[in-house]
Amino acid sequence: MSEILLQAENIDKRFGITHAVDNVSLNINRGEIRALIGENGSGKSTFCQMLCGIYTIGGGKFILDGQEMHVKNQVEANKMGVSIIVQEMGTLSGLTVAENIFLGHEDPFMNHGIKNTRAMIREGQKLLDEYGFNNIKAGAMIDNYNFEDRKLVEIVKATYMKPKILIVDETTTALSQNGRLELYKIMDAVRADNRSVIFISHDLGEILEHCDTISILRDGEYIDTVNSKDVNEDDLKRLMVGREIGSAYYRTDYGKPISDEVVLTVKNVTVPGQIEDVNFELHRGEILGFGGLSECGMHEIGKAVFGASWDRQGDVVLADGTEITNIPQAIRHSIAYASKDRDNESVILNESIRNNIILPSIEDLANKHVLSAGKLNHFAKEFADKMQTKMQGINQFVSDLSGGNKQKVVLARWLGKGSDILVLDSPTRGIDVKVKQAIYALMSELTAQGKSIIMISEEIPELLGMSDRIMIMKDGKINGTFMRSESLSEEDLIAKMV
Amino acid sequence: MQSFKNSRFYGFFILAAMVVVFYAIFKFLTPTNFGSPENLFSYFQSSIIYSVGGCGLYFIVVMGLFDFAVGSNIVLSSIVGVILSKHFGYLGFIVGCLGCGTLIGILIGFLYNKLNVPSMIVTVGLMLIFESLAVFAAGGVKQTLDPALRFFSGAPGNIILAFCAFALMWFILNYTKIGTYCNAIGSNEFTAKNMGIDVKKYKLIGFALLHFFVGIMAILTVSYGTTMTALTGMSTMSRNFQPLMGTFFGVAFRKYGTPISAIVIGEFIIAIIFNGFVALGAPTTVQNIVTGAALLVIVTLTARGKRGSVVK
Repeated sequence: MSEILLQAENIDKRFGITHAVDNVSLNINRGEIRALIGENGSGKSTFCQMLCGIYTIGGGKFILDGQEMHVKNQVEANKMGVSIIVQEMGTLSGLTVAENIFLGHEDPFMNHGIKNTRAMIREGQKLLDEYGFNNIKAGAMIDNYNFEDRKLVEIVKATYMKPKILIVDETTTALSQNGRLELYKIMDAVRADNRSVIFISHDLGEILEHCDTISILRDGEYIDTVNSKDVNEDDLKRLMVGREIGSAYYRTDYGKPISDEVVLTVKNVTVPGQIEDVNFELHRGEILGFGGLSECGMHEIGKAVFGASWDRQGDVVLADGTEITNIPQAIRHSIAYASKDRDNESVILNESIRNNIILPSIEDLANKHVLSAGKLNHFAKEFADKMQTKMQGINQFVSDLSGGNKQKVVLARWLGKGSDILVLDSPTRGIDVKVKQAIYALMSELTAQGKSIIMISEEIPELLGMSDRIMIMKDGKINGTFMRSESLSEEDLIAKMV
Repeated sequence: MQSFKNSRFYGFFILAAMVVVFYAIFKFLTPTNFGSPENLFSYFQSSIIYSVGGCGLYFIVVMGLFDFAVGSNIVLSSIVGVILSKHFGYLGFIVGCLGCGTLIGILIGFLYNKLNVPSMIVTVGLMLIFESLAVFAAGGVKQTLDPALRFFSGAPGNIILAFCAFALMWFILNYTKIGTYCNAIGSNEFTAKNMGIDVKKYKLIGFALLHFFVGIMAILTVSYGTTMTALTGMSTMSRNFQPLMGTFFGVAFRKYGTPISAIVIGEFIIAIIFNGFVALGAPTTVQNIVTGAALLVIVTLTARGKRGSVVK
């Protein structure tokens, strides 16, 4: 019989009227990788953030290794043996890599209040080298590294102290394939050392492959814990959503001809250091997918089309000959853009759902420059409801919403604007299957209406499942183009990525 | 691999290049009465006073805070130091300036934490109070430092004291938790809290350190000028800005790991520009316009964010 490492007893948390975690009890055994799954807003992250001291516990208790936890912050949780790698950026600018790794844990390097900076850097470098991240220098400023490298630093920070419980919260979406492999190795090592991992992800394939057991939360409530080898993806989807979700949430049509009508032409577009001499045409009613490895330049394509790239050379031209050079012009000419970095570039977190939705449409809604509150509210509500946004009301702040519902607000905004060309960068990043299904259905509906979509995605199944054409980027250039086909495989795309 | 452009050598290179460029411009325009070695040493001596204040301001500016009470504290601490020096000599002078400066810093930090209002508002309010306190302390009389107590009025005293302040700043930034935590709080206060950092405590420490450095600046200021007059009606406000210009350099060059050198050299560059205009006989208004413009150009060229990035 497995030995219990962590007991969660009647864990509860409310945010205002939202019951985020509802009396959840579960046990985690030593030496297991436990997935925690559920729709956006099901309470997974809140549960883990209470465990590691980011949120105070609303009710119930955690017992780790027989000892009840009373932690007020992450450092206290670390000291008790719990650490977390978060979904978004978890390192701090203005500090060196070593300072980030040991932040809050400087005591081993302190002597009568004096910090032994050299020893800290030496120890930091030793750890980075041990993890195989020797391209990262412990003495360098963290700001010199990109998002993924900073994530690797965070992995070192969370694991070097050998926590009894390591929480990995939606981290893999921020990592390239190599980064993911490194993370899986670390998770396996934690398990082999008879410690445990709580792994949060929306990638059910990844969960089934790397986790031993899976606990499901739904609307804040505990549903069940299952063994990975006893279930498949459809079983998990059903448990998460509470009803059957077919595996065919991607498009099933093949052979549909692409319209000859070109709505947008990208000619010789170069963004120094990002993309080079990119050329393509977007057709009416088409979903044009862009894929590639991280830093292949695909994300810059979206910005370049939307007029958001600085130093862009070359032309982005609409069918009527209008050249797109900046964002206001792009929006005026019916181009919409949803960024991969949702929290920083797509939504205004500390603003209401209403204000987020009406933002690009304010001029259209004004009557001789005068706005009517009733009209704005009606407009926001109409499109928030159309996207089935889970909210307390349109005046709720976007910061309170889950990732999936934030994305719904972004899409509601552009639906409201009535944009004809949508540039969607990683539209389902960090989003559960139910919302994914809704977004895919919306994309199909929009293309049926004659709207065109550029979909940039790091998910190969998504590219294969939704695109009419797929362009694979490598080193800033288009390295291959594929038409939609049943016979097209992941291997075909990967061959052009690497 | 860390590129040369991200290294501290690059930071030094840019700073040194700016010194050379501005020196060359004014030397070319007015070769006879600008830029002799003696002149340069004089500019340097005046600039290090502001550099000390710039070092202090760095602790709170990196945390996203601001302090309008620096000028009023220079005046008040100078007056308290001079008054005490009349009874206790150097000991009274130094302890008076540093003690008064630091206590005021602690008071500002305490009130900022307790009142929970923006630092700018707290310090504007307190500036008015400190100005009045200085008038009461001075009894409406100009306070003159005894000629026997003017070791810090010129070299080597002023340089020794200023370099002790720079060394202290370097030590705090590199060899204590304070430097790390101030940067962490400025980067993301919420995350810093979650890392167990007592944010309020370190903000209070930041204000206390700033005003300890202001105390040192008071010693240098009153020694250099030999007298100090209490002023009211926000007249001390103008004393805030020159140290702040050095801090801007420090924050701008933080990415190269050279904030202290940037503060010191930055203030020196500003002193070169000021004195260059004096040598040219330009009116003060023109000096101010060009100095302000030069600061904007320098900081824009060296510290501006990536194009398209959000700057607040």
